[in-house]
Amino acid sequence: MDFQLQIVTPDGLLYDGPAQRLITRTTEGDVGILARHSDYVAPLAIGETKIKFADGTTRVGSSAQGMVSVTGGVVRLVAGTFEWADEIDIDRARRALEKAKEKLARKNSDYELRMAEFKLKRALNRINVYNEGHR
Amino acid sequence: MAESMKAIKSRIKSVESTRQITKAMELVATGKLRHARERIEHSRPFFNVLRQTLVDIRHSNRDFTSPFTREPAENARTCRIVIAGDRGLAGGYNSNLFKSAGAVEGDIILPIGRKAVELYRRRGFEILSDEYAVAEDVSLGGCSAMGEELAKAFLRGDFGRLTISYTSFVNVLTQTPASMEVLPIKPEGEHSEKSGLIIYEPSAEAVFNSIVPQYISGIIYGALCESIASEVSARRAAMEAANKNADEMISSLSLRYNRARQASITQEITEIVAGSNV
Repeated sequence: MDFQLQIVTPDGLLYDGPAQRLITRTTEGDVGILARHSDYVAPLAIGETKIKFADGTTRVGSSAQGMVSVTGGVVRLVAGTFEWADEIDIDRARRALEKAKEKLARKNSDYELRMAEFKLKRALNRINVYNEGHR
Repeated sequence: MAESMKAIKSRIKSVESTRQITKAMELVATGKLRHARERIEHSRPFFNVLRQTLVDIRHSNRDFTSPFTREPAENARTCRIVIAGDRGLAGGYNSNLFKSAGAVEGDIILPIGRKAVELYRRRGFEILSDEYAVAEDVSLGGCSAMGEELAKAFLRGDFGRLTISYTSFVNVLTQTPASMEVLPIKPEGEHSEKSGLIIYEPSAEAVFNSIVPQYISGIIYGALCESIASEVSARRAAMEAANKNADEMISSLSLRYNRARQASITQEITEIVAGSNV
């Protein structure tokens, strides 16, 4: 059975159409959502999102920040950042990783340290998802 | 007379080349304006959904408490995000904003844009980070990192109030500097009907608290996009005025040049006629 899935990001609506299953990472762990899920809201963590479309194909993406919500059968993945595995700019992610590592190594203010840590996590996740999608 | 003709001619040339520069800047600003406005449009649905969720949670729980809605203590410090431009040549864009931002001693400043970084450093304010010295390069990722960190700092009690000063884009001709309070947060508005029946995981408060940082990023991003749109349209207007002035100058200089040319011809004729009469 299918449900309507929308992927909303600050860059616009990435996907709006039917899907069979959504697996994404919330702050409480991975959740799977199927059709006829009851109304639900949970914040997203930095992690991987797997979507099985109506035709049975699966796509992987990296998601971070935002939330997943189910209202009246419509599933919305409201993500701060979302990229499909095959659209990740792997060089940029690697560069970001190096830069974040560099910043962590230097003695910076608390604020900059935490910022670098956050960027490090995000870059690592992008690289992981990229590798997953290109296996 | 010939000397003055040469001087006028070279002035016309210099005004013309300046005009070319201002014309080019005007065209660039026009292009950027469209881009900035598109960015605002694209990001709107995302932040509206977040906002709606905050409102729903607020209304569904009668005994709702969140550290983000806490009123600031009396002696609490204020953190100000000030979004200005990176360059001048935009009319009163930067100075109007600084005038309205009204930072007082003891405030913490998070400047965005080179002009803001320079100004607040010179005045000796405590600066949170000068990472965002180039307003045009601040991405959405930068805004969300800012939102996260500011929310954490607010919870730690580094400051009790968070405000943002930016230039609101009314239309292409009007941009007004504005300030608004970001934290403590006041989610107001119509809540949806079914809001009491939604499962929040791990809890409504936890969802609320984890959405707030991104909501803050949304406000920052929106303000940034508006400021950039305002900056480029202010620059466009300034350049348009500069073009007009250059045109006026060129035409009055050409008039003077032609008069000088005419005068020198008349004088030569007079001299020739005077010579032949002898």
